[in-house]
Amino acid sequence: MQETVTTSALLDPSHSSVSTQDKSSTGGHTSSTGPQPSKPSITPVSAKSRNPHPGANFHRMRRIIAEDPEWSLAIVPLLTELCIQHIIRNFQNNPILKQMLPEHQQKVLNHLSPDLPLAVTANLIDNENYWLRCCMQRWPVCHVAHHGGSWKRMFFERHLENLLKHFIPGTTDPAVILDLLPLCRNYVRRVHVDQFLPPVQIPAQLRPGDQSDSGSEGEMEEPTVDHYQLGDLVAGLSHLEELDLVYDVKDCGMNFEWNLFLFTYRDCHSLAAAIKACHTLKIFKLTRSKVDDDKARIIIRSLLDHPVLEELDLSHNLIGDRGARGAAKLLSHSRLRVLNLANNQVRAPGAQSLAHALAHNTNLISLNLRLNCIEDEGGQALAHALQTNKCLTTLHLGGNELSEPTATLLSQVLAINTTLTSINLSCNHIGLDGGKQLLEGMSDNKTLLEFDLRLSDVAQESEYLIGQALYANREAARQRALNPSHFMSTITANGPENSVG
Amino acid sequence: MNPPGSLAGLDPNLDEHLSTQILAPSVHSDNPQERIQARRLRIAARLEARRREALGEYLDGKKESEEDQSKSYKQKEESRLKLAKLLLCGTELVTNIQVAIDIREIHRRVEEEEIKRQRIEKLENEVKTSQDKFDEITSKWEEGKQKRIPQELWEMLNTQQLHCAGLLEDKNKLISELQQELKTKDDQYVKDLKKQSDDICLLLERMEEQVKNVMKTFREELYNIEKAFEVERQELLASNKKKWERALQAHNAKELEYLTNRMKKVEDYEKQLNRQRIWDCEEYNTIKIKLEQDVQVQQLVLTRVPGWRSTWPTPVNVSCLATTCDILEILEQQLQQRKAIYQLNQEKLEYNLQVLKKRDEESTVIKSQQKRKINRLHDILNNLRSKYAKQIKQFQEENQSLTLDYKRLVLQFKELQKAMRHFALIDDEKFREIWLMNEEEAKDLIARAFDVDRIIHTHHLGLPWTAPDFWFLKNVGPISQQPQKSATQIVEEMLMHTEEEEAEEAASEPESYLDLPKQISEKTTKKILMVLCDESGFLIESKLLSLLLPLEQNECYLLRLDAIFSALGIESEDDLYKLVNFFLKYRAHRLSSSLQIKSCSQASMEKASMEKASMEETSMGSELELAEQTEMEGAKEESLVEGEKEEEEETPPSPWDIHPNDVLKILEAFVMGLKKPRDSRAPPRVQKNMRNNSKDSEYWQALTTVIPSSKQNLWDALYTALEKYHIVLTQRAKLLLENSSLEQRNTELQALLQQYLNSKINSELQVPPTQVLRVPTK
Repeated sequence: MQETVTTSALLDPSHSSVSTQDKSSTGGHTSSTGPQPSKPSITPVSAKSRNPHPGANFHRMRRIIAEDPEWSLAIVPLLTELCIQHIIRNFQNNPILKQMLPEHQQKVLNHLSPDLPLAVTANLIDNENYWLRCCMQRWPVCHVAHHGGSWKRMFFERHLENLLKHFIPGTTDPAVILDLLPLCRNYVRRVHVDQFLPPVQIPAQLRPGDQSDSGSEGEMEEPTVDHYQLGDLVAGLSHLEELDLVYDVKDCGMNFEWNLFLFTYRDCHSLAAAIKACHTLKIFKLTRSKVDDDKARIIIRSLLDHPVLEELDLSHNLIGDRGARGAAKLLSHSRLRVLNLANNQVRAPGAQSLAHALAHNTNLISLNLRLNCIEDEGGQALAHALQTNKCLTTLHLGGNELSEPTATLLSQVLAINTTLTSINLSCNHIGLDGGKQLLEGMSDNKTLLEFDLRLSDVAQESEYLIGQALYANREAARQRALNPSHFMSTITANGPENSVG
Repeated sequence: MNPPGSLAGLDPNLDEHLSTQILAPSVHSDNPQERIQARRLRIAARLEARRREALGEYLDGKKESEEDQSKSYKQKEESRLKLAKLLLCGTELVTNIQVAIDIREIHRRVEEEEIKRQRIEKLENEVKTSQDKFDEITSKWEEGKQKRIPQELWEMLNTQQLHCAGLLEDKNKLISELQQELKTKDDQYVKDLKKQSDDICLLLERMEEQVKNVMKTFREELYNIEKAFEVERQELLASNKKKWERALQAHNAKELEYLTNRMKKVEDYEKQLNRQRIWDCEEYNTIKIKLEQDVQVQQLVLTRVPGWRSTWPTPVNVSCLATTCDILEILEQQLQQRKAIYQLNQEKLEYNLQVLKKRDEESTVIKSQQKRKINRLHDILNNLRSKYAKQIKQFQEENQSLTLDYKRLVLQFKELQKAMRHFALIDDEKFREIWLMNEEEAKDLIARAFDVDRIIHTHHLGLPWTAPDFWFLKNVGPISQQPQKSATQIVEEMLMHTEEEEAEEAASEPESYLDLPKQISEKTTKKILMVLCDESGFLIESKLLSLLLPLEQNECYLLRLDAIFSALGIESEDDLYKLVNFFLKYRAHRLSSSLQIKSCSQASMEKASMEKASMEETSMGSELELAEQTEMEGAKEESLVEGEKEEEEETPPSPWDIHPNDVLKILEAFVMGLKKPRDSRAPPRVQKNMRNNSKDSEYWQALTTVIPSSKQNLWDALYTALEKYHIVLTQRAKLLLENSSLEQRNTELQALLQQYLNSKINSELQVPPTQVLRVPTK
């Protein structure tokens, strides 16, 4: 009895894993059992993962083990088993998969090595389990949710990202990426690269003076610091939907040079041509890349009348009023839903042009102008635009040197507008009176759910009262979400009231 | 001994593996029984877990739905609010860092801008001053060139040098300042970096804390909610238990009460029984005592039989006994008698019983017979029913088939009619063609005959010839009658005529173009019709009226009359005349009757007249003349009576006298009268299409006798004379031929003779024939 206990303990892991994989097919092996076994020395091939224990012979005498679907009493392994083993062993040279029966396919896929060359596996294997193994083997942390829940997509996206990140123009062979293209073109939907390496400088830099002189050197060597040209890659990926780029160098350490962080005009032009040619692109992000007005305009010009683009993120760049004007033009010439210009250098004129475009826009849902300097003029223009706009739900105007006049206008907007759900006015100089006026406006509003007024010199009392109003709105929204039929009636009931107020 | 059940909350596979090793029967054991046991346990555990789960869910759902105000709901709401607040506060706490950095950045930017502005200003100032200085120095160089004295020059150079040095120093100072600034900036950068890393650390810390906090609070709240649910469940359980206990208690109390009641009742009954028993015993005893007393009395009586009557009042033993003996005897006798009677009765009863039994048997037999009969009759009934149903079906089918046949026949008949009509038409056509052909032929023949006749007359007889003129020679085509006109056509004609007449105005003979029946003038007819038309508008359909509005008056009248006629059933010419006549007659009668019976009321008079009119209507055809007469008389009378009043319109019975109100009555009477003839109208209509062929034979006969018999006789005579003449002529021709042939032979013979005479042989002969013969020529 002791022996049985030990064997079962030894066998436990395999049993449990197998049974969790395939619980349903218990007892499906009655037909596959051969004649009564006589020689215990022949071990069944299917029990490869199992620890062959010479002492547990009686264990093999059993016809069925309901807990182990692969258990077979066959003395001589079945021909199918042998064939499958062979196929697995020679998969690299002779990949046979589609011609087999589904259960055999499953068996083969479960035993294939994740190190097989991609040229063999990429377009042949769709099994998520295999790609799960590939991913797990390669990366310790995997967030499959970031890749649409598909392990295969994740594998190719991250693989491509890795290649791009370490691509050095001039030294790395471009065929490395172009060879991958036919393999991954059907699976990659999102390209996220946060580093583009510049070409290697052949003349060694002088260590001591490099920081001070970097600007002039950068100008001199500008033609040589172009990064990888995405044109071919983007044109090749037929399902590309998201492009998230940062022209940046990570982990440069003491090799820091200013010209490592250049986004050149050639880069800009090639990128613009690439995204213009990509008609499936929905999200385009170009952040922390020193994009100034001219480059922004080049890129935006290429995005005009893009068929599907929905989100544009140019945050943390150097875009000024002219770039903002370009973005405003893009608003009226595309289906853009999200625009992010946070941490740029947009001032009042840029904000005014954005407001002008916003006044009659019916697509834009979210606008982020954090950490710009639009001041009261721009703020007032935006508030005026919001009086006619019926689409925008999220507006971020944090850190924009706004003050009381904007608050006055915004309070009027709050009373009228029924679409805005979130406004951020933090880090401005709203002032006590402005806060009171916003509170007044808030008292007539039933739709706003978030209103950030931190560090904007508003009296605590009004901030608290606004918070109360927001809380009431949130509760109402929750109720509406719980019973949508009621929601319709309240909306219709609220409509006239709001327009009167 | 049920470990899987206790661990059912975990993965059943895992816990099964864990638990079975130690305690329970293992699925890997050698003993099949043990394995089976193990599996059973596992299944039971799984089922248990599932059931518990389902039950829990069910309870949850129920609670949620039914108890809005319950503790758990409150707890849930509270937890929700608390968690929302926590989340909000936490996010705020975390984002506070970002906001703080943002504002710091803004401040930095503002400061930077200020410093930049100052720096630029300073640099500009510096540039200005240095430029001034430089200008001064350069101007001094010019000055220096004019200096001739070396000392002065040296001095100046020194000062220039000094100035330059000052300038350079200024610049150097500026540079060093700027470098200083740069250094401080660098320091600040490093500081900022440090600060940022600190901030990031703080952010991370806060995030972690927040996560921890949130997790903790969520757990707590979950725990709280669970606790609340648990408490509620406990409460519910307790309350239910209490309720249950109360109910149980109540039940118990009731049971007890019932029990006590029952006990009480049992006791009562027992008591009653006892009482009854006692009472019964007592009664029994009393009866017994009484009977015993009676027996004693009787014994007493028996003992004193002889003189019991006398001694009854005073009970003496002997007499009593005697009497009792007597009584006993009598009783015995009576007993015997009774017994006999009983015997008799018994026998009688037995006999009765036997009889009754017999009867019963008979009745059963009869019953069974009846039953059988009933069954049979039922069968028959059923049969009959089925037969009836079958027959109904059959007849229905037959009916159906017959109706089908009928329909088919009707169709066929219709088709036949159609064919007949078609053939009639074709026959007509053919008839006409044949007629024409024959006629043509006949006419040809006749023409030839006439030609021959003419030739005979002119050539042979030398008489002048005149072509005969017969009526039938002009006829072409089959002989036919004029068709009857319809009423509306007549009316149309009439209207046209009257119109013309009105236009002419001068025409004074209205009868000239109308083949109206004799006495009725056209004007009167028209007027009557006008009145009719105006009065009986109700007979016309309203739709038609609206359509008629735009039309001309005459057409309008025509159409309206048409409608009225169709409504009244007037179709032919005769009907129309009948109507008009009827009107006239009616008027005449009214007048006459009004003359005759002046006192009569209007209604009765009308009635009478109507009756009369209808009577007359029925015998219209025959009495037409009569009616006309009466009418004439009426007119005369009228003229006699009203002569003074209305001299102008006397001769024709003008329709103005017919009051419009009367029109309807007249019409009614007319329609009533017309009903009868209408019924028998169908056959004549059929004959309408029949051709009158009476005249045909006459016609053809006439054609044959176009050459009269006298002429034929003449021709015969002529023929025989000519025949004779012909024979004579042929004889003469024959004789002429014979004569000519004879002449020819003669000449031939003469030629031959001449030849013979002239031949040489004659000279050689001794006797020439010429000698012998007298040459006839010589």
